[in-house]
Amino acid sequence: MSKFLKFTASIVLLGAAWATNANAQDADAGEKVFHKCAACHAVGEGAKNKVGPELNEIFGRVAGSLEDFKYSKAMTKAGEEGLVWDHDSLTEYLAKPRDYVKGTKMAFTGLKKDDEIANVIAYLATFSESAEQAAAEPESAPAAAAVETASTAEPAVNAADAVIPEHGVHHLGREALPEEIAAWDIDVRPDGVGLPVGSGTVADGGVLYDENCAVCHGVFGEGEGRWPVLSGGFDTLTADRPVKTIGSYWPFASTIFDYVHRAMPFGNARSLSADQTYAITAYLLYLNDIVTEEDFELSNETFSEISLPNKENFYPDDRLEEPNFATNVEPCMENCGDGPAEIVMRARILDVTPDGDEENGAGGID
Amino acid sequence: MSKQPQKDKNFVPSRRSFLQGGLTAAGGAAVAAIGGGAALAAGTPDPAITELKDWNQYSGPGVDAAPYGVPSPFEAHVVRRDVPWLTADPISSINFTPLHELDGIITPNGLCFERHHSGVAEVDPAEHRLMINGLVDKPLVFTMQDLMRFPRENRVYFLECAANSGMEWRGAQLNGCQFTHGMLHNVMYTGVRLRTLLEEAGVKPAGKWILAEGADASGMGRSIPIEKALDDCLVAFKMNGEALRPEQGYPVRLCVPGWEGNMWVKWLRRIEVGDKPWQLREETSKYTDLMPDGRARRFTWAMDVKSVITNPSPQAPITHGRGHTIITGVAWSGHGKIKRVDVSIDGGRNWQHARIDGPSLSRSLHRFYYEFNWDGSPLYLQSRAIDEQGYVQPTKDALRAARGDNSIYHNNGIQTWYLKSNGEAENVEVS
Repeated sequence: MSKFLKFTASIVLLGAAWATNANAQDADAGEKVFHKCAACHAVGEGAKNKVGPELNEIFGRVAGSLEDFKYSKAMTKAGEEGLVWDHDSLTEYLAKPRDYVKGTKMAFTGLKKDDEIANVIAYLATFSESAEQAAAEPESAPAAAAVETASTAEPAVNAADAVIPEHGVHHLGREALPEEIAAWDIDVRPDGVGLPVGSGTVADGGVLYDENCAVCHGVFGEGEGRWPVLSGGFDTLTADRPVKTIGSYWPFASTIFDYVHRAMPFGNARSLSADQTYAITAYLLYLNDIVTEEDFELSNETFSEISLPNKENFYPDDRLEEPNFATNVEPCMENCGDGPAEIVMRARILDVTPDGDEENGAGGID
Repeated sequence: MSKQPQKDKNFVPSRRSFLQGGLTAAGGAAVAAIGGGAALAAGTPDPAITELKDWNQYSGPGVDAAPYGVPSPFEAHVVRRDVPWLTADPISSINFTPLHELDGIITPNGLCFERHHSGVAEVDPAEHRLMINGLVDKPLVFTMQDLMRFPRENRVYFLECAANSGMEWRGAQLNGCQFTHGMLHNVMYTGVRLRTLLEEAGVKPAGKWILAEGADASGMGRSIPIEKALDDCLVAFKMNGEALRPEQGYPVRLCVPGWEGNMWVKWLRRIEVGDKPWQLREETSKYTDLMPDGRARRFTWAMDVKSVITNPSPQAPITHGRGHTIITGVAWSGHGKIKRVDVSIDGGRNWQHARIDGPSLSRSLHRFYYEFNWDGSPLYLQSRAIDEQGYVQPTKDALRAARGDNSIYHNNGIQTWYLKSNGEAENVEVS
């Protein structure tokens, strides 16, 4: 019993330590927050512009001033009018980018938590020589010590008092609660099993798509860079270079809903509500001409009306019926083939250094 | 180099490095040392013997210099490498195992190739749970400690990405077996049979499929038929004796022996039992094999019999000249053990049996050797594996005849290295 009290005390201590550090900037924590930014921005040694500008020496940089990056007109103008990136301006910008610089190309909707903003700025400061030292100050010692205490503190239970469940063979684990299953079981099947109650229209989805998806997938689903193409590609599956999209290739609309709901937008997964996911799914169907009206509303009720055109063109694995596998005979060991072997193809990509992007490969791993 | 600033560019195989640095740049420090020795005139004493070296004279670091040991600095070139143009972003990308630097059958943990769909999840094991729900008698939640109280087993399995060699469908493309075959590793896992966990929850008779789901931000999910789930699937928490590496799914991953790597869900947090497959993104829009008629195969799970010569190869040229020479490589099959490996030095006209050495385990890499006396003439090196089911590794032409150029996945064709008289090797295809 006394040990239990001690454990409780350490939790309280931990809570107090965290409370006093709630506003302290933590560059390490900021590095994790930066994962939300990393799809579009690079920072660190050798960082280059991606979808967004590189962020080395961002502190003190005039907004829209990198010569080799194509900014929105709004951002260039903001810089001309005197916007310089510092702790305060970044704090405001990262909270609501499109309110702070109206017309910015940055599609990110903003960081919702103050500590996330403070931490990511502290992280960026570690790549800016001019940043104030205070911004990069490490976590204070008491907090670190408290964390260590917590990680080693386990409530000691008298072994004979441990409760053994009745279920199963080894009587291990515990029953999952309905709320726990609901929190994790979000998968959706083609027959509609798993669809949450909700709805969204093509028109709503268009707005959400432009905000959350277009930066990588393109305004019309055409794909930026090597990000996935989502629309078009009809009648290309037998072409030399097939374009596999939702409309041209995917068999089931449920896959769109499931994937957007669980994994998108990239770097900020699980942030879209059921209604928002219905709306984006409806818009993707619209971009692929599966639905044609902007007021079409997709919901758990209307979902079963949707059928994708390539649905019937998938069949089970039959590799083992190919002649090579089916014959299963002892291979030739001597004097095989006609005449001596001659080279018919050579490695086309000799230079795979990272900068050699002018000569991209013929294949892809998808 | 913005994405991986720590990498040493000198060791990226490129036309430039061959031309500027010659063979020493491509082969690393070991080649330089051997080359230096060979350059001595006959009868000249070797300074490696006659001169006192620092390590002969001075004490080295003490026992705690590296509490977690690291490779010799002379092995700094032995690293995973990526091909940036393959994917849109390093957070959802792949790198490759340096097969040409390895021997035996086990892949060291730090060299196992990585493929993530939303970066490496950093999971606190104290806050990790594995849930089993769906068509079971009682849905359950396990902590990591719970998992480690079930009976464990140790098994060696290869993991190969279905897209391994996928860039080579249209012809020889990348110069190095790291890039052509390096989406492959072979590890001894410690874990609990998935069957044991499913029996703890009790699978209902209607349960015909499972969904395996990860805790990362991609929520990776794959449908697996219940027969496989109850057969040899393993819920693993150790690799090669130590905890899984974060990039391999710490603290727990699924092993689906012999089947494509995408199914080996990392950061495993949920198993759902259902009566139908889920048809999620990675089993519909991806990992389906497009055929020339525009239709596509789905649920192409097993990895077919395959082999590759790892040395010599484009990143590992022969620098010793003619004479006694060792060809070595690896062979594997998702259908069981490897029965035999044949090696050809004339582009498939004549074949010799290679020698398999080391453990021969089902659904594990096998190491083969072929020793011969090289006369210095150009050769076309090939290996061909046959598994215990009798399946024979096909030629690339046979695969293309059956599947066309656009199926991306499951390219298990015979690889050819063109060994030139100067010892360099190039990725080619032959008639």
